[in-house]
Amino acid sequence: MLIPVLALGGLGAIAVMGVVGAFIITGWLGQPVPVLGFEQTFNQPIDFPHTVHASLNQLDRVAADGQPMEGLGLNCTYCHRTVTTQANAGVPPVSFCATCHGVIGAEDNPQLAKLRDAAGIVGDDGASPINWKRVTRLPDSVRFVHEPHIRFLTQNPSQIKGVTDGVAQGAAGTCSTCHGNVASMKQVEQVEPLKMGQCVDCHRDNNAPTTCSACHY
Amino acid sequence: MTTAAFGTHNWGMVVDVDKCIGCNACVVACQAENNIPINTQDRVERARSIAWIRVERYWIGDFPDAKAQFIPIMCQHCENAPCEPVCPVYATYHDAEGMNIQVYNRCVGTRYCANGCPYIVRFFNYWEPVWPESLRNHLNPDVTVRSRGIMEKCSFCVHRIRRVARGARSAGVEIADGAIQTACSSACPTSALNFGNFNDPNSKVSKMRDDKRHYTLLDQFGTDPNVIYLAKIDANKKVGAGEASSHG
Repeated sequence: MLIPVLALGGLGAIAVMGVVGAFIITGWLGQPVPVLGFEQTFNQPIDFPHTVHASLNQLDRVAADGQPMEGLGLNCTYCHRTVTTQANAGVPPVSFCATCHGVIGAEDNPQLAKLRDAAGIVGDDGASPINWKRVTRLPDSVRFVHEPHIRFLTQNPSQIKGVTDGVAQGAAGTCSTCHGNVASMKQVEQVEPLKMGQCVDCHRDNNAPTTCSACHY
Repeated sequence: MTTAAFGTHNWGMVVDVDKCIGCNACVVACQAENNIPINTQDRVERARSIAWIRVERYWIGDFPDAKAQFIPIMCQHCENAPCEPVCPVYATYHDAEGMNIQVYNRCVGTRYCANGCPYIVRFFNYWEPVWPESLRNHLNPDVTVRSRGIMEKCSFCVHRIRRVARGARSAGVEIADGAIQTACSSACPTSALNFGNFNDPNSKVSKMRDDKRHYTLLDQFGTDPNVIYLAKIDANKKVGAGEASSHG
């Protein structure tokens, strides 16, 4: 692999250093280019489509009766129940999915078969949680709490950034500020860099505390 | 400003030494609350154990009339802290709420602050913290696990302050006196450790601070600590003629 670089001599070395340097600088300023394991999206154990559940738009899917499918438009807080009261948004337990999908959904759908197996509806190995992969990550030194952010944006809708294809009422309308248009994502990805500069900019604009110990402890 | 606004409090502690029975419950509570690494024998022998709060024991008198006296010592959260100006990266600073803050992700481990501290309450992580597998799920998720090469010290359980303040802001009320308890003060069986807001003249700690027994540790250095001690009452002390009336 290095032979063409060596053949070009100094020019090749400068080119390689330039590419590596550009990669580091883009990762420093924003999100790294999604190559070499720096991807911002993951293959989840089950292909959960936020489009079907959260979107209100017409989907590129066909329902069982041959009609084009429309999104359900569920409120974000329908599943992420603790987001308005606690630090974590919360991922619903499998049993919560099964309240609908014990009945709703084609039996031959392979993704739903995995869900029903995990919920203990089919199969004989009982219920077991799904190991969802975490998409939005913050460093361990940061304590982010959803509750005050949702509360502030609900009271100050002018500070909400981004749009959503889903229901934009109550707490659900505020999520797009940091998470982007999740209702349009088949596979959820992190769209904002969510680095400290972004946090501090917003905190400064809105008179929120910017002392270190507000978040780092 | 909203209620329970940030920066309107001055957190502090009043330690009634007369009530301390030296049970070390505060030490254990702090150890569990703040993800402090386990002080194994070899670490203690090398004087590199970590204890954000410690109970010092002094023997008064000679055997057989010896008596033990105890004094719990944690970070004094000084207003004129000797540790703060020496930090080259501003990893420790005084915030608007009277607390001396250690920012772990800024710290580069120069250890100047520990050299400057006259109370010896700053501790350096010489090793990566390790817990046995059975304790892995006992770590407090609200407190950062400090890695190797980082200075740490008592934080006045800042995560508890933030949690209660957040709840108060959400409910639109002021933080009630006594609503915030640090791990050590909630564990203290004799209420020797008391945590509260010095800016509120009616708070429990403000009233305790007015006790004539009050003093601060190493007062001659002028560090102006936010931890106030109340002196031990000596029952055998002969009260002088001039003092008798003032003692009541």
